[in-house]
Amino acid sequence: MIAPTAGNAVLVGLLIVVWAVGWGLFVGRAWQLYRYLRLGRDEDRTQRPLRRIRDELVIYLGQRKLLKRPYYVRGLAHALIFWGFLIITIGTVDLFLSGVFGFRIPGTGTAPFVWTVDLFAIAVLLSIALAVVRRLFFPPPRMHVALDGYLILAGIAFLMLTLLLFETAGLVAGVAAQGFTAPPLATLITRLWPSPFPGESSAVVYGAAWWGHLVGVAAFAAYLPQSKHLHIVTTLPNVFFRSQRPRGALDLITKIEERETFGAGSVRDLSWKQLLDGYTCTECGRCSDQCPALATGKPLDPQKIVLDVRDQLLHEGHRLVRDGADRGTPPARYGPTKTEELWACTTCAACVEACPVTIEHIDKIVDMRRWLAMMEGDVPPEAQRSLTNIERAGNPWGQPPDTRADWAKDLGVPTFAEKPDAEWLYFVGCAASFDRRNQKVARAVVEVLRAADVSFAILGTEETCNGDPARRIGNEYLWQTQAQQNIETLRKYGVTKVIASCPHCFNTIANEYPQLGGSYEVVHAVQLVDRLVREGKLRMRDGATESVAYHDPCYLGRHNKVYDAPRDVLGAMPGVTTVEIAPHHRERGFCCGAGGGRMWMEEKVGQRVNHRRMDQILAVDAATPVTKVASGCPFCLIMLDEAVGAKAVQERIKPIDVMELVQARLIARS
Amino acid sequence: MKILVCVKQTPDSTVRVKVAADGRSVDASQITWAISPYDEYAVELALERKDADPSTTVAVVTLGAARGRDALRQALAMGCDEAILVSGQGAETLQGSAVARALAKVVEEAKADLVLCGRQASDDDQGLVGLALAEALGWPHVSTITKFAPADAGPAGSFNGIDVWKEVEGGHEVWRASGPAVLTVQKSEKDPRYPSLPGIMKAKKKEIPEKDVAALGIDARAPSLEIVKMEPPPARGGGKILKDGDMKQTAAELVRLLREEAKVL
Repeated sequence: MIAPTAGNAVLVGLLIVVWAVGWGLFVGRAWQLYRYLRLGRDEDRTQRPLRRIRDELVIYLGQRKLLKRPYYVRGLAHALIFWGFLIITIGTVDLFLSGVFGFRIPGTGTAPFVWTVDLFAIAVLLSIALAVVRRLFFPPPRMHVALDGYLILAGIAFLMLTLLLFETAGLVAGVAAQGFTAPPLATLITRLWPSPFPGESSAVVYGAAWWGHLVGVAAFAAYLPQSKHLHIVTTLPNVFFRSQRPRGALDLITKIEERETFGAGSVRDLSWKQLLDGYTCTECGRCSDQCPALATGKPLDPQKIVLDVRDQLLHEGHRLVRDGADRGTPPARYGPTKTEELWACTTCAACVEACPVTIEHIDKIVDMRRWLAMMEGDVPPEAQRSLTNIERAGNPWGQPPDTRADWAKDLGVPTFAEKPDAEWLYFVGCAASFDRRNQKVARAVVEVLRAADVSFAILGTEETCNGDPARRIGNEYLWQTQAQQNIETLRKYGVTKVIASCPHCFNTIANEYPQLGGSYEVVHAVQLVDRLVREGKLRMRDGATESVAYHDPCYLGRHNKVYDAPRDVLGAMPGVTTVEIAPHHRERGFCCGAGGGRMWMEEKVGQRVNHRRMDQILAVDAATPVTKVASGCPFCLIMLDEAVGAKAVQERIKPIDVMELVQARLIARS
Repeated sequence: MKILVCVKQTPDSTVRVKVAADGRSVDASQITWAISPYDEYAVELALERKDADPSTTVAVVTLGAARGRDALRQALAMGCDEAILVSGQGAETLQGSAVARALAKVVEEAKADLVLCGRQASDDDQGLVGLALAEALGWPHVSTITKFAPADAGPAGSFNGIDVWKEVEGGHEVWRASGPAVLTVQKSEKDPRYPSLPGIMKAKKKEIPEKDVAALGIDARAPSLEIVKMEPPPARGGGKILKDGDMKQTAAELVRLLREEAKVL
């Protein structure tokens, strides 16, 4: 047995000193970061523990969110380095124990373990080579390439190699002499040496690898918490404590009437989990890659939002810990263009979907907007008008509320007051009630529901805005007022089942009304049609042969994972070929630009988001000509209508709602 | 400086106003009430002054039905310091000139240095009260203003007259008032501010003193004017889209319609 410390007190002492320094620096910094984290407000993130464990296995250990298009190769390289690092960690413990106490973890030093180390060494080194080459020669546009990354890559390579040498030399020196075939990398190394670690030289390599590894680990530990590489530690809790709310639901401000401050006016007002997000960001830029605002030249970069929170916390943390009354700078004012960044967000969740470490970008942005809107009254003037309109007229357009049901006048659609035993409530929404183009969609929904003999009624003029734009603009109070009013009306009529043709109504009623005690079975119209088609209650006849591109609305798709229902409905239409707006479809669908209250704000900077979306549709159209672009959202429809006009293709490509396509193919009931 | 802003509560611009069954008044049953838009600009202008000089106090007054309290709360939520409601028997139907005389009493009691009104109310568009108020007070008056500022930097807090920007065709004039004045507001540079939630909550709790209009001792004689009839504008007919036929036929049909139906050619 070659024990590198060999019971030598000086060597043991040296090891203790090196490790004490390395791990001491780690613990010191970790304690500091923890104290800063505790500045954040409390938030319970322990509900549904089993799901959290499952997430940990899938997302942390399984690296699920890294292995996504278009990042398969890079994602796999990362996963290999990560899994290799876990192997290294086992090896490090073994190496330490065997060197100091002469005790080996069962299983290590055997052929399977040495083969595992060897194969992972190959995979890790190749992956690191790929990462280095990428950083040097093809740096991804949104990635911050800095010395930090190289140091970490070099560190991992060093630890991997020293472990490999330790295992290999140990084997060769007969530490665990067993007759088995040497694994490939070990074989290569032994070939490079004239005579593979003969006698004493084997002990030298073994000892050097041992010392090199353990000193390397201490250095790595000391450096880690200063680096973005800390994510290897923080991702563990960050995934565990990720939000288990439906993605489409924002956090409720409880007891709003009793509070004195609203939203994030200080880093103290962000929850500890939001601060942990900052520690966890590894600056990979996948969120930035997917952001429609950034892609069209807006000042917003979702990655910067997260890093700003981290930087501000590190900058102010010391002061704030010492002085409990100090609130520091409001995060919404941290940086010269911060408010413009915040107002540019469409809350489309492309960033949230893309983030491999489950960072929650939207919640931070909305918390800062809440502070701007409710504490400062600082809202873009056009958005302010829409909020006032919701307050006074119950719809953001500011249309007379008593005309809300005018679209249905000649259809004889019953209201709940007239038909209290109706099974379903059709919650029409402001867009389909007041916008001329979308009134046609409401009429289509009515016709389709009638064809399938669905028992339904509307609220008529008793309906009021669901509050979604107000909540996303940051006026939580107005959202609660609107929501409570609707919940009260639904309670009055005993409504239990709700159909919405607008994904924003659908999302807020399904996912957010339960926060205020309004729980219903909520479906988007397209989901109900999908169900009715399956059950044979709705049949569609041959229509025109046409290619229809499908545009995923963010609040139907990414926020609620309704990807298949609209495609299945389109697929059930004889003559219709569905065209995917690849690669920006399903999870990577590109926003129309109207979400997050952006519908009610001017868009003056950069390209209009809906024009970029139309560019993507036209690129698909160039390969597979399409005659229609279908969606399931009134705001997408408005945005796409504007975009086909701007691109002068309105004669060729017609934006349409899926429900209108269904309506055109209905087989009338006999 | 103490600024008093006179506001009127009118039907919100999102409301579709209906004529009541008597044919001479507005059906008030379905109305959402709000501060008349020009008056809201007046509040904003006053508050901008307060932003620039925190020693400024801004009071707001309304005269009319008791529901006017909501308009006052809105102004308080925006940042006004105090509010006065003048209400009671007959307040709602008081004629413009009598309203001005009543408000003059309030101005005198409040010892205001400056009075702002909107240039006209959005319901009757009379534009009378501001002018009549100046007359009743014996103060100078400037109309359609967009901005005002203290004339010069006197000792802090003292009142040395004000410069007033008045909108005129194609530009503006700057007038100087040496003493108290009544200004009627055309517009503020910024849109009226969005009240903060703490502002709204504070305004909810604030005591709003109510004065009985009868107690002001004004001469509110029988109205010399009355509305005898109200008519909504005629409903607009639907448009017509010419789709069939080639371009020539369509053009010919269009000309025919313009000539024979619309009679514009």
